Amino acid sequence: MSVDSKQSAAAPKATAKASDWFTIPAPLRRLFKHFPLLVYPANELPFRTLPNRELPTLYVFSTDQDALQGLPSFNPSCLKWQTFLKLAGAEFRIIPSTNHASPNGALPFLIRPSSASDADSQTPVPSNKLEKYARGNGSTQVPEVSSLRLEAYQSLLDHRIRNAWLYSLYLNPKDTALLFDLYINPTSSTQVVRNTIWHQLQHAAESEILKSTGAPAVNPPALYKGAEEAFEALATVLGGEAWFFGNLNPGLFDATVFAYTHLVLDEKLSWQDSRLRDALMNYPSLVEHRDRILARYWGLQG
Amino acid sequence: MAKNAAPMGEDAFETMLRKETASVEQKLAAERAQAHAESQQRNADLLSQNSTLPVTLSSIQIHGAKYTRRSFLNPLLEPILQSSAQNANYTLSDMLQEVTEVVSKLQKFDIFKDQIHLHLSQPPHLDPSTTPTDFEVSLRVREKSRLFLKTGTDVGNTEGSGYGTLLWRNIFGGAELLSLNASIGTRTRSAYSADFSTPLFSNPDLRLSFDGIMSSTQKPWASHEEAVKGGGVKLGWLNQSGDKYHVGYSGLWRQVTGLHDRASPTIRGDAGDSVKSALSTSFLRDRRDNPMLPQSGYLFRTASELAGWGSLGGDVAFSKSEMEVAGAVPIPIPGVKGFSGVSFGAGLRAGLLYPLPHSYGLHGAKPSRVNDRFTLGGPTDVRGFTLGGLGPRDGVDSLGGDVFAAGSMNLLLPLPRVGAESPFRLQFFANGGRCVAMKNKTKTHSPVGEGLKAGTVWDGMITASKDLATGLPSLSAGVGLIYAHPAARFELNFSLPLVLRRGEEARKGLTVGVGINFL
Repeated sequence: MSVDSKQSAAAPKATAKASDWFTIPAPLRRLFKHFPLLVYPANELPFRTLPNRELPTLYVFSTDQDALQGLPSFNPSCLKWQTFLKLAGAEFRIIPSTNHASPNGALPFLIRPSSASDADSQTPVPSNKLEKYARGNGSTQVPEVSSLRLEAYQSLLDHRIRNAWLYSLYLNPKDTALLFDLYINPTSSTQVVRNTIWHQLQHAAESEILKSTGAPAVNPPALYKGAEEAFEALATVLGGEAWFFGNLNPGLFDATVFAYTHLVLDEKLSWQDSRLRDALMNYPSLVEHRDRILARYWGLQG
Repeated sequence: MAKNAAPMGEDAFETMLRKETASVEQKLAAERAQAHAESQQRNADLLSQNSTLPVTLSSIQIHGAKYTRRSFLNPLLEPILQSSAQNANYTLSDMLQEVTEVVSKLQKFDIFKDQIHLHLSQPPHLDPSTTPTDFEVSLRVREKSRLFLKTGTDVGNTEGSGYGTLLWRNIFGGAELLSLNASIGTRTRSAYSADFSTPLFSNPDLRLSFDGIMSSTQKPWASHEEAVKGGGVKLGWLNQSGDKYHVGYSGLWRQVTGLHDRASPTIRGDAGDSVKSALSTSFLRDRRDNPMLPQSGYLFRTASELAGWGSLGGDVAFSKSEMEVAGAVPIPIPGVKGFSGVSFGAGLRAGLLYPLPHSYGLHGAKPSRVNDRFTLGGPTDVRGFTLGGLGPRDGVDSLGGDVFAAGSMNLLLPLPRVGAESPFRLQFFANGGRCVAMKNKTKTHSPVGEGLKAGTVWDGMITASKDLATGLPSLSAGVGLIYAHPAARFELNFSLPLVLRRGEEARKGLTVGVGINFL
């Protein structure tokens, strides 16, 4: 309401800064300094507040139980960065969240440890800055790959595999139950809200696929075929190596591939339509690649 | 007495008739006023001379109610005919009193223009079916336009907005009202609402309404925007002494979204969807002389809400109660005759949000979210603090509390020269409050984990309530100028904080407050 609202919002001791706006006469400033007369300790935070702010926190799609154990997220984009942070040796925890919590409307993002001296410490690190963050805060040197080489294969994942993934989870009627379990039921217990969100998700997935394929309609067989071709190409690139591009340690691309291969193969997700899984199973080197990451960074058997 | 009543009566009603003709002929307003005064005087004389005249009511008619249903009007008029028929000692004054009551009811429906004319006449004596005591009553009404479009700007509690409203009155001829609203504002980014209400049993003091809302409101004190979609049904009534009640149900889908970059982890944790399905009830007794500038009388208000319990469903479960008492007394000044314009006022508000087990209690209770908690502070409640400036705070965000209490005292003085009748006042005030959240004592409980046991909730609420009285409340005091416009009250205050909790946001110096409901 009043002119100095911004000032006092930024810093409770606004009197000194307020002089930027208009000069407060010296006697008034001296008077202001005496107030408040009494300051008690701060109020305690509500129950639902987040404890342990000293840990970097990655906000991902996950369940309460999975997040407590740091298990892989069920969202490819979240899992990619969760994996990359792990293989960069960065310390972090994950907590389950929603797109609404993100400043750019998408998960994941990371909040650095809270620091009283740095006002920006609680500003989210969006996913496009996470690579830099991981390299800067990790204990392990992650191999870098020339971007030209990466780009060609990256597009296989970003388009063909992603489109097939979007169709399988969001549009394929056989796996609607899985979609509800993962993304819809946690939002609300009210059926009307669930159905509304379901339609919004379907609509968004469909328009993403159409944008990517440039086709007038979604063609499922073509999407699955595209994914299979992409898996084949990836298997060829991987060859007999442990990690992509012959690196000694896994890099960002390994994390990106793992984010899809793990979720396609994960037994915990009860896929009813096995087409994507069957296509991937044709390339044992990719399956082994996924098992290798799962064992090395989560200590889990594939 | 009865003999000379008829000619005089005819004369009087002729005057009224003439008055109407005059208005058609567009005579000067002054003349009309005089004629009106004369007719009033004659009516009064007539009435005082004939108040005990035994009468029977042979018919009552309403003219000009073109769109209004007969089945809606009949229940209003029938009681008069019945009491006239049943009561042997029915007099002219009884009849006029009952007719006046009907007229005031008709006016309350807000479908007729203010002036409702009353005509009394005696049926021609030649008609063999009449008796000499028979009277006929006819009411002449003019219906308000049924469609009404309004655009404008509005000031509410610390908010300015532009709006467009479409009113559709008397839709089915029974004083039903449909209102469609669209507004954009400083805090409410956009709001669309539809409200259909209808009186029940032709009673203007008993209304049933259905409403739907879709809005998006900025909550800058907690770095987010709340989008709400939903609807409800409400039954509201007024009792004889003007106390207002309501009971209702509402179902709202809320989204905490559009978070700012610097939003705190607590707000990030509350981001997303939640459905509130709640029963609510409220009571209001307003006996103040002037709601914008109360100088005598009192106000008592309670509101309670029960959400998510039993088969209500939704995602949040709690009971939430709020109450407010406020009063003012004029202070006579020796040597000043009559109303001095000096008054002393005080107010107290308090509220409690108690988490309940969801549905039938199988999964325990969930702690409150930011959109359900109370916020306290700001120019219209605890002056001298920023909006939501009191209570727990995480980084830049005011998180709100589960329990709050706030009080204020003020002394109003008329400005020199301007006088007691003017809407300006000088005020000295001191106000303060506490806003406390139920905290997590264990510190190990996951913020999103399973529900809380009844004992944990009880202990938490007891601790929080005790905390209200720990130490002094956060306080501020100051002096200011009030301008009480009929539509809103404006305050310009200079205030200083006296006591606060670390992190609470006080204002030192000048602040402006605009609102309709001040503490």
